[in-house]
Amino acid sequence: MRARLFLQIASVEARRRLSYRADFWITSAAGFLVEFGALYFLWHAMYRNALQVGGWTLDAMVFYQAAVLLLGKLVRGPEFEGVISQDIYEGGLNRYLVYPLGYLRFKYAQHLGSLLPAALQFVLFGGSFLLFLDLPEGSGVTLAGLGMALGAVAVANLLHFLMSFPLQAVAFWADNVWSLTVAMRLITALLGGILVPLALFPGWARDLLAWTPFPHLFAIPAETLLGRIGPAEWARGLLVGLGWCAAFAAAGRAVWRRGDLQYSGVGI
Amino acid sequence: MGRYLRLYACFVRFSFSRAMEFRLDFFFRIVMDLVWNAVHLGFFWLLFRHTTLLGGLDFDQAIVFAASFFLVDALHMTIFSNNMWWFPTLVNRGDLDYYLIRPVSPLFFLSLRDFAANSFVNLLAAVGILAWALARCPGSFSPGPLILFFLLLGGGLLLHFCLNLLFLLPVFWMHSASGTRELFFALSRYSQKPHGIFRGWVLRVLVTALPFALIASFPVNALFFGASLGRLAHVLAVVVGMFGLLLLVWRRGLAAYASASS
Repeated sequence: MRARLFLQIASVEARRRLSYRADFWITSAAGFLVEFGALYFLWHAMYRNALQVGGWTLDAMVFYQAAVLLLGKLVRGPEFEGVISQDIYEGGLNRYLVYPLGYLRFKYAQHLGSLLPAALQFVLFGGSFLLFLDLPEGSGVTLAGLGMALGAVAVANLLHFLMSFPLQAVAFWADNVWSLTVAMRLITALLGGILVPLALFPGWARDLLAWTPFPHLFAIPAETLLGRIGPAEWARGLLVGLGWCAAFAAAGRAVWRRGDLQYSGVGI
Repeated sequence: MGRYLRLYACFVRFSFSRAMEFRLDFFFRIVMDLVWNAVHLGFFWLLFRHTTLLGGLDFDQAIVFAASFFLVDALHMTIFSNNMWWFPTLVNRGDLDYYLIRPVSPLFFLSLRDFAANSFVNLLAAVGILAWALARCPGSFSPGPLILFFLLLGGGLLLHFCLNLLFLLPVFWMHSASGTRELFFALSRYSQKPHGIFRGWVLRVLVTALPFALIASFPVNALFFGASLGRLAHVLAVVVGMFGLLLLVWRRGLAAYASASS
């Protein structure tokens, strides 16, 4: 697929996502503030009798939560959308079979376009946080760090998309795989570092997690933004993340090939 | 009343036979619910590795709190959730007509028609987790506080339903409820945390206008620390007020409903 066509598909999807303005503002402004508010109170309660939790100060923890919420939306994309499984289940896949481009690349372009609201949210609230919140002591939020974090987000986004792809392809055999993608979101939220930083896990769990793709989804991008991960570790994380992408792409392709053989194109 | 009970029995029967048609989905939904429970318990376990008290609750009490929320959520998922999920689509496509022309209350029909048989298994799991959580608490509970606890959880379930639907009803005017639905999901996180962690006006809002703290946190507080008559009257007033508000907005919404392409 040519880059121009890829961008065109992403752009159409981005405009579609902004067509309901009220939805956009409710999701972007109210949704984020409400979610962040709950975490803000939680961590303040946790620090009532402690100066540090898992080696993190309160300021650093609050900043991490804001970062991981905003970056997490860029990694995951819109909530609860099983567009691929829906195409399979409802027979919508038919039209893509005659398109002169690959289905997966088409869907990834759409997926990237759907991130526009989250990207605007990141600029809007990320900027506000830098202006109004006290940066944690010793935090190294720099332009270079922001660039590195966005690089890590790009890999994390691809990884998340490829991780959910084989799950959605299960729709060739099952009528509704929405539950599987929700289960994946829940597991990645805990083990990927959205709910709590990975430093709060016991040592043995951190050692185990280092061998999984989860830290590459949210913890590494957020900690890179906070200046907790240096260039060498970041580059290593990026390479390992891309390795996981290749592994999940291969798994997805294998599942897709088997499912494709029995696709009847009838829909429900 | 008898007619409505018979009708509900039919809904349940149809839902079970439909669920049995899609066995793999049935299994996936159970997996999802179990993962949800495990992630929440894991979250509290991780937090309590670094603190002894959270919002006035110790670890054992926090586990009872989490299990109480599981129970309310499992009941909501089983009884209301599927119906709530499809409600905006029904309004947008004009399919609400089907519910309006039946000789029963449209709100009853619309809220209870789809009983999620697959979530029913999760309900059993939630009951098990709550029984385990209560059993591992030091000391024993006398029947009075336990009965009050379950009554308050019943009120919490009704509040959960009212709030969910209230956040979907704007679809009558906005033609899309995805923003308000996401806002509801975001606000739901306040009901998944002990209300003792909140302070100031946020706490006041959470026990009155947006009573997410009354869903599970208040009942658990009443179980462990007792509840004054004033506090019980407050809960009752909020439950009645929310249900009244729901009926009012529902009627206004129906008046604005223009059938297909609404």
